[in-house]
Amino acid sequence: MIEVKSLRKVYKLSKKQMLKNNTVERKKVAVDNISFVTNKGEIFGLLGPNGAGKTTTLRCISTLIKPTQGEILVDGLNINKQAEEVRKKISFLTNELKLDTHFTPKYTMEYFGSFYGLSKREIEERTEYLFQEFGIDNFAYTKIEELSTGMKQKLSIAVSLIHDPELVIFDEPTNGLDIITARAVMNYLQKLREQGKSVIISTHIMSVASKLCDRIAILIDGKIRANGTVQEILYKTGADDLEDAFFKLYNNVSIGEKI
Amino acid sequence: MNKNLSVIIKKELKRVFTDKRIVFTAFILPALSIALIYSIMGVALGNMIEDREEYIPKAYVRNMPQKFENLISNEPYNDMVDIEKISDDKELENIKEKIKLGEIDILVVFEKNFEEKLKNYENKEKPSIKTFYNSSEDYSSDARFGLFNQLFSRYENMVIGERLGNIEYTSAFNIDIGSEINDLVDEKEATGKGLSFLMPMLISIFLFAGAMGIGMDSIAGEKERGTMATLLVTPLKRETIAFGKIISLSIISIISALSSFIGIIVSFPFSKAVLGGDKDMNLTNLKFGASDLGKLFIIMITLVGIYVGLICLLSIIAKTVKEAGTYITPVYMIVMASSFMNMFSNSDPEMWQFLIPIYGSVVAIKNILMFQLTWTHVLISASVSVVSTIFLIYLIKKMFNNEKVMFG
Ligand SMILES: Nc1ncnc2c1ncn2[C@@H]1O[C@H](COP(=O)(O)OP(=O)(O)OP(=O)(O)O)[C@@H](O)[C@H]1O
Ligand SMILES: [Mg+2]
Repeated sequence: MIEVKSLRKVYKLSKKQMLKNNTVERKKVAVDNISFVTNKGEIFGLLGPNGAGKTTTLRCISTLIKPTQGEILVDGLNINKQAEEVRKKISFLTNELKLDTHFTPKYTMEYFGSFYGLSKREIEERTEYLFQEFGIDNFAYTKIEELSTGMKQKLSIAVSLIHDPELVIFDEPTNGLDIITARAVMNYLQKLREQGKSVIISTHIMSVASKLCDRIAILIDGKIRANGTVQEILYKTGADDLEDAFFKLYNNVSIGEKI
Repeated sequence: MNKNLSVIIKKELKRVFTDKRIVFTAFILPALSIALIYSIMGVALGNMIEDREEYIPKAYVRNMPQKFENLISNEPYNDMVDIEKISDDKELENIKEKIKLGEIDILVVFEKNFEEKLKNYENKEKPSIKTFYNSSEDYSSDARFGLFNQLFSRYENMVIGERLGNIEYTSAFNIDIGSEINDLVDEKEATGKGLSFLMPMLISIFLFAGAMGIGMDSIAGEKERGTMATLLVTPLKRETIAFGKIISLSIISIISALSSFIGIIVSFPFSKAVLGGDKDMNLTNLKFGASDLGKLFIIMITLVGIYVGLICLLSIIAKTVKEAGTYITPVYMIVMASSFMNMFSNSDPEMWQFLIPIYGSVVAIKNILMFQLTWTHVLISASVSVVSTIFLIYLIKKMFNNEKVMFG
């Protein structure tokens, strides 16, 4: 279970970033006072456009960056005080995380497995299971540089799941994947849900959110604008579908800014 | 040792030593090119010295006195110089021009009636000789300051001998004649002194260069390629990752420096002259005792600490390998400069020199080769390096925990 309470993250901008963002502000409020809870056996989605603060939120939960304000508990562990313990329980995955292509999948699994305090045997069993699950077994001893992009991506997922984590955090799970690999990944996330894991994903794709997620938080400009099941969100916004609901919320924010 | 730490170090070493391209470019290629460059330099230098020794200079002489001509056209000088007499002053300018161009080596002009004036020495009128040469030409200066200096002093002795009535009277005493050995040099120290000219600088530069490329790649490169982030999401402590990188890089730096040395040793038969020894320098004279080797090891290992610390720190701040390169290049220059700075100093080391990081270590290596470094010096120099390294490690740890640096 993940509890995010009044999370706020402010980035200090360097001169270069100020230029890039075309702003004179020295600070950027990326996430502004958001709260939500995710449960076991459910897929929770953060849905939002570019720059909404999705990655920032997920990085805070994964202890990679520190919240400016607020509190995050992962299975009751405080991410600030027990960062290493938290990282033992979770799996954090994004497209940006890459594996050294010089090694084989088998070695890579052993390498990362050893950081979770697993025994050789446990690593072996998990590797066998995950390789079978993702169809990597035939490539266990092939150098990663020789694998296809889809296979590399699947291996990254397998590596991140080596320790059979209770919580799986996945930033933009289908980004950059062809539809076959994307479908395989989505199926696996559903499987994790069935196993009673708690899954959080972020996405800017409406269909991914509506198909995959049990509950959704719509994040726009650092704030959660709606939170609930798809049905609840449609009901609250009086929209016909998720995209419609999103634009209603989005326009409200824009109007709010103009006033 | 922490289990995770050893896993990281093993993986870092495996990464480097199972990659044929890296092994070739970081270990084999430097050793090969060093062996080749030093051999070529050594052979070229040897040839140059031999060539200068064998060369017969071309000399033009105006108003050559008969006695000088006798001297020069008899043993042993007749084979050592190629003499052309000039009969007309008009030719002089033309010859000087050719000396300028390096076509002729020397012009000697005796004053008119030189021998007559010599005879009238009681009038206190000294005749003069003028020489024209070109100091930028090796052959020309060799002719002027080698051969002709000798000829002139022989000629002068002949003249004085005539005045005194006996040529024997022109020499008053013998120096170093007999079978006794006059040079009481300790072969060991002479060899060490020869090596201490270039070796400390090479050691210092090899250690830095060995860690530089791989260090940039294993930290800035991993950041750039996204493999560092994969490591950061594991339960590993940031310190463990930092130490893993630092220790494995130190090992690599030493191995790489060793392979460069093998290159030097391979080139040794040809490159003695370049490396500051004379032709019959013999490495077996250099009997390093256990304590000398211990000193060398302590100084080197602590110097590696500073180098690896610097390289890691700059690589971690950089976002890409290229950026790391722009930060590290100036530091490399400073390392080279501090290594060169001590090359020509031969005086005994002063305490304060050992207090300067890097420079002090190079001075220490030099003095180990000259067998005059005391354990106090070693202690001071090593402590300075260790303190600098600890400071660098502190900064590196800070950077690993800095989210702006890691995820900026
Ligand atoms: N390290 C950083 N330093 C400064 N500003 C940052 C940093 N990371 C993100 N930002 C800014 O914070 C805001 C939120 O970024 P974030 O990456 O969390 O958005 P996102 O929802 O993941 O967007 P995307 O769909 O583009 O991935 C953006 O305006 C971004 O420019
Ligand atoms: Mg993002």
